[in-house]
Amino acid sequence: MQIYIIEAVLLVFLILITCAVIFCKDLLSAAVIYSGFSFCAVLLYFMMGAPDVAFTEAVIGTISTIFFVASLKKIDRWCK
Amino acid sequence: MRQGFGGIVLSTAFRLLVPFSIVYGVYILCFGEYSPGGGFQAGALLAVGVLLSRMILGEDAKFNVSGKNSVVLAGVGTFIYTFVGWVTLFGGGKFLEYDFMPIVMEPKHEMHAMAIFIIEIGVTMCVMMTIINLMDSIIKRGDDDGSIE
Repeated sequence: MQIYIIEAVLLVFLILITCAVIFCKDLLSAAVIYSGFSFCAVLLYFMMGAPDVAFTEAVIGTISTIFFVASLKKIDRWCK
Repeated sequence: MRQGFGGIVLSTAFRLLVPFSIVYGVYILCFGEYSPGGGFQAGALLAVGVLLSRMILGEDAKFNVSGKNSVVLAGVGTFIYTFVGWVTLFGGGKFLEYDFMPIVMEPKHEMHAMAIFIIEIGVTMCVMMTIINLMDSIIKRGDDDGSIE
């Protein structure tokens, strides 16, 4: 029973983090918050019994965050 | 991004963390058959070290792979994968049928494990160098316009 409660909390976190990324005006903050989305997805995949997918998601989440931050040096940090 | 944006904290953390991440990547490559992991994850983990070195230490980092070399090495990784397939093809079997490898080992699954390990090395090299090449193209596009010091 408790595993369902934890899973529901993680799913609510996913929705909240997505809304935060959409409405965030600072793109660097959005990139950092999006790594939190990746972390919640890793925990969910691990609970569903797919450690291989969870591990891939963890590594690709790290690399995509690095790419976002590197491309932020090119464009403006604040969106209008 | 010729100069990198590392201070003393980032440089020290980089020097402490990256050797462990590289050793972990090699571990995942070697034990990918018995545990979660494999060629793709190992290549991505090995690429993280080079990406961080490029971002923190700048253009003249010692631990670096340039853009041209990364394209060539990705091709070498794909060649390793295809070479194993063609060796079994010329040995009389189908593409990637490991029973017809020229190396003869007595238990059959031993030979399968060796062939799969060679293929995983090729996949690792291809994924690692492709990620480094993506990062290189992002950085180079920023440098050409002169908007970044």
